[in-house]
Amino acid sequence: MNKQLVHIKGTKAGLVLRLDDQCAYAELVEELERKVLEGGIDGKVDVQLHLGNRYLQSAQQDELISIVQGPGNMHVSKVHSDVITIEESNEKVLSEQSETYIGIVRSGQIVKTVGDIVVIGDVNPNGRIEAGGSIYVLGNLRGIAHAGVNGNKEAIVVASHFEPTHVLIDDQIEVMSNEQTIVKENAEQLFAYLNRDGIISYERVQEVRKIRPLLSTIKGGS
Amino acid sequence: MGVAIVITSGKGGVGKTTTTANLGTALALQGKKVCLVDTDIGLRNLDLVLGLDNRIIYDLVDVVEGRCKIHQALVKDKRVDEKLFLLPAAQTTDKNAVNPEQMKSLVEELKREYDYVLIDCPAGIEQGYKNAVAGADRAIVVTTPEISAVRDADRIIGLLEQEEMEPPKLIINRIRKDLMNNGDALDINEITTHLSIDLLGIVVDSEDVISSSNKGEPIVMDPNSKASLGYRNIARRILGESVPLMSIEDSSKGMFKKLISIFSK
Repeated sequence: MNKQLVHIKGTKAGLVLRLDDQCAYAELVEELERKVLEGGIDGKVDVQLHLGNRYLQSAQQDELISIVQGPGNMHVSKVHSDVITIEESNEKVLSEQSETYIGIVRSGQIVKTVGDIVVIGDVNPNGRIEAGGSIYVLGNLRGIAHAGVNGNKEAIVVASHFEPTHVLIDDQIEVMSNEQTIVKENAEQLFAYLNRDGIISYERVQEVRKIRPLLSTIKGGS
Repeated sequence: MGVAIVITSGKGGVGKTTTTANLGTALALQGKKVCLVDTDIGLRNLDLVLGLDNRIIYDLVDVVEGRCKIHQALVKDKRVDEKLFLLPAAQTTDKNAVNPEQMKSLVEELKREYDYVLIDCPAGIEQGYKNAVAGADRAIVVTTPEISAVRDADRIIGLLEQEEMEPPKLIINRIRKDLMNNGDALDINEITTHLSIDLLGIVVDSEDVISSSNKGEPIVMDPNSKASLGYRNIARRILGESVPLMSIEDSSKGMFKKLISIFSK
């Protein structure tokens, strides 16, 4: 064996292990185990694994991580691969897509999306919207809105008329019967978000740009 | 070829059966051939409201199961000559005795002979509702100015919008002007914007409706009642006329009181 399968590179943030993507997986595991045991590292160090064009199943990924973390002084912060499966790619596209629903979400109806949703119409009491991303209602929101269903804490709920019975973001739930003063005083053009303490809060839509600037997909505006 | 209209509401007790009986009679009085179908199997009432209960021989389930011909089961209303017929529901079985396909072909058959087939839907969204909606071309949703009735109407409109038929139309029944004026009941505008479907008409609450139902004579037979006017206006709108929405203000004030109210302004 003359070719090195594991390259170790030091950076400011820690070590980068660049793993060869042409050799067999078993060979890679063998060499990685050897390299890790060579040691020579003092104190704790942060490690990133770069896989190149190799696709790893999650069990394999766990195996590599446990090998590296085995001696105890290395911690894997990130596993980076240049390839993903078609399935993962599709999921990613869907979760970043915005869908449009035109009509009225009536009592008993549930509208679900993987990514964001724009509702042009009303959400009536007992109507429910569930989105992986954010919810934007151009109309009256009087039902139930659940944004960030799969754990997206950055998701927000926006409505021209904001009068929902329940607002949910990620796993937080707010029953609007104990209404917040801002909602009580003026239900027009509000949005809900999770604040730093993980509690649902409300603001005027104009404040989105300060609270969630990263939701913007277009920069500039000249 | 006629039109089949289902009259539904979701919630019980808002006046589906009364509305069916009165619209049917009003359309027949306008010279149309009308057949009313009661799909509330097991809890039939439409025959009572029309005063035809003692003339029933066969019923809807008999027709569907082939025990009689369709015309043998139809009960003729003699007050409106040769124009108004009723296909009564069975009283001995339940909603599962009929399935949507059977209802569809039954209504198709009736549509060939009648201008209007009005289907009285049972309360709820289960089998009975599915049967009633199966053969219909159009739907009328009845509600009252109560939050519970409006909520159920919203649900039923959501279900109707998924069927292959025209968008449903709304009737607001049992309007009480005193409650609406002082804000104790939902007002007409509030209900129509909330449900956002076309308003077909309004019917004011009146004690005459109850007494006439008990007598088995639809209120539209009485030309002096305000509720009767509401139903007749709705029937004319179904026929395609444009009739302005009647005011809910009390017009039964005497001449003298009207004069006083003019001078007291």
